[in-house]
Amino acid sequence: MTLTVVLALAACTAAAPPSPSPSPGSAAPFPLTLTDDEGTQVTIPTEPRRIVSLTPATTEILFKLGVGERIVAKVEDLALYPPEAGSIPDVAKFGSVDLEKVVALEPDLIIAGGNSFTPPEAIEKLRSLGLPTLVVYAPTVVKVFSDIELTGRAVGREQAAADLAAAMRAEFDQVAAATGSVDRPRVFYEIDATGAIWGPADESFLAEMISLAGGDPITTGSPDKFDIPLERLIQADPEVILLGDAAYGVTAEQVAARPGWNVMTAVKTGAIRPIDDIVVTRPGPRLTEGLRALLGALHPQLVPVPAAP
Amino acid sequence: MTSVPADVALRMEPGRRERVRELVRRHPRAVFGTAVAAVIAVSIVAVGLGSVGIAPGETIGIVVRRLVGLDLGVTWTPATEAIVWELRLPRVLTAATVGAGLAVAGATFQGLLRNPLADPYVLGTASGAGLGAAIALVLPIRIVFIEFGLVHAFAFVGALASVTVVYRLSRLSPWSGMTNIVLTGYAVGALLAAGLSMAMYLSGSSLRQIFAFILGGFEAASWNRLALAVPLVALGSLAILFRARALNGLLLGEEAAGHLGINVPRERALLLALGSLVTAAAVAVSGLIGFVGLVVPHVVRLTVGPNARAVVPLSAAVGAALLIAADLGARLLGDIPVGVVTALFGAPFFLLLLRRAQSGYEL
Repeated sequence: MTLTVVLALAACTAAAPPSPSPSPGSAAPFPLTLTDDEGTQVTIPTEPRRIVSLTPATTEILFKLGVGERIVAKVEDLALYPPEAGSIPDVAKFGSVDLEKVVALEPDLIIAGGNSFTPPEAIEKLRSLGLPTLVVYAPTVVKVFSDIELTGRAVGREQAAADLAAAMRAEFDQVAAATGSVDRPRVFYEIDATGAIWGPADESFLAEMISLAGGDPITTGSPDKFDIPLERLIQADPEVILLGDAAYGVTAEQVAARPGWNVMTAVKTGAIRPIDDIVVTRPGPRLTEGLRALLGALHPQLVPVPAAP
Repeated sequence: MTSVPADVALRMEPGRRERVRELVRRHPRAVFGTAVAAVIAVSIVAVGLGSVGIAPGETIGIVVRRLVGLDLGVTWTPATEAIVWELRLPRVLTAATVGAGLAVAGATFQGLLRNPLADPYVLGTASGAGLGAAIALVLPIRIVFIEFGLVHAFAFVGALASVTVVYRLSRLSPWSGMTNIVLTGYAVGALLAAGLSMAMYLSGSSLRQIFAFILGGFEAASWNRLALAVPLVALGSLAILFRARALNGLLLGEEAAGHLGINVPRERALLLALGSLVTAAAVAVSGLIGFVGLVVPHVVRLTVGPNARAVVPLSAAVGAALLIAADLGARLLGDIPVGVVTALFGAPFFLLLLRRAQSGYEL
């Protein structure tokens, strides 16, 4: 099957040890001007050797593209991946950046998170100091692939990134084909329910992932708000509840014991399943794992789809 | 408030505080000079320290080179220069400007309204600025003019607009007076705060930025922003200082002030406008920073007495030193909100000072 070949090739490319000398052909494209996800033109003068990664997904992408050792600093990641990234110092947290530390490292490329993940004022400041700062933000699955390609171009790994994105696209297409004709259960993906109940907004990344995995997502009824009233949830009557907060100790028994929840089909049939929130929501190379996890939770009969080797 | 005339109260004070006040009265320049020296000392420490260690020699070399063009024979990397000159120095000077401005505005409002709980935000300024900033962040427009975005402009306008509304509304009431304006300020502030909460609820992904504005801080300080804030704060504060006589008179009550030949309605309006202008400028560059404007004027009055001629300039110096130090603390503790640091260290210090005050204390 050609797909398997493509996947195998992609995996080889991605897993190949980084060559110590600049990879052949990488000298050509720099200086390089790219348009980032906020529409800013960013010029990168030479192939970056000292990269600051301000989103967890970027850290994963750079390691996957074989340039992990060029990361000189990163954002704090409570679900760190890959493990090798553990030795890289943290210079930022969710919503704040230690600008002094970033500047002191003399980076030649900073990749920051859009939609206020990295504070816009910090991005402005870094740019005013002449540091090339590329902003990535992927509100949709398609955008994840193009961000991987954008990141690859920015660090001189265009081909590896294109291969990775192509392999991921192929796997998503394959799952979409497999789930095309199945019955779609009504799915509620619980992000958190310690206070209000938090689930996917109508146009969210999560809702898209659930649809792609063959589910009918129950959403909050708003394009960008993530809290859902219990009344709405009861009325929507989920057939499957996925616990994105399972890592924080939420169990099916706790959900069943919540007042008012026992009327839902998912609670009656016991279709309450834990899911790894990180792989499902992080817009990086492990998104295919997230899709497979969702598929396994919603349509176990379709698993295994030919998994990436 | 049944206030003893200020100079009578002063004569009744016994002991060391009396001696301090006497010293201030005789050598006002020397006392103010000491306070300014303290500000400079704190600034030097604050520019020298940060999350990245830089040798004192390099820091001094960079500052001297950039300020007076003198080469001290020390070498440093461009990154070090950017940290000292583009990140730390504007940040320290912004903290100083904002601290001075808020403390002067606080002293003005406390004296003018004869209310010890008055602070720069008493006339709805905080909610007005917060709502303005929130609206700017929720609007899908991004305009930036020399590093001043819509957020700063709207915060500035929101602060001034809320004060104007409060002032107008309070004059409609038949019983004019300072209690009335404080209560009007409270009511308008509550209304605007409700608007701010609504804007935050509807803000989606801008919520974190609105929240950051409400907490206040100097992370985004830059030379250009400083250059726009400094003239407003400095000229406003100086103008307030020149009206110290009126401020002293108003402290005795409006009737007494009238008898002293002060044009009460005019002076009151002018001082309110100046205090609000200084507050709005400070808020526009740094967000809502509390505590400094309320407590610094009290600390100064507890030490040197109520004379506005001394209270206004000394409040400026103490406010500047306090916010520089608090921001340094905030930076060293990993960029925690500066308001947390000011309150955490300032509140116990203020309580101690209140306990040690030997006699009654009136504005």
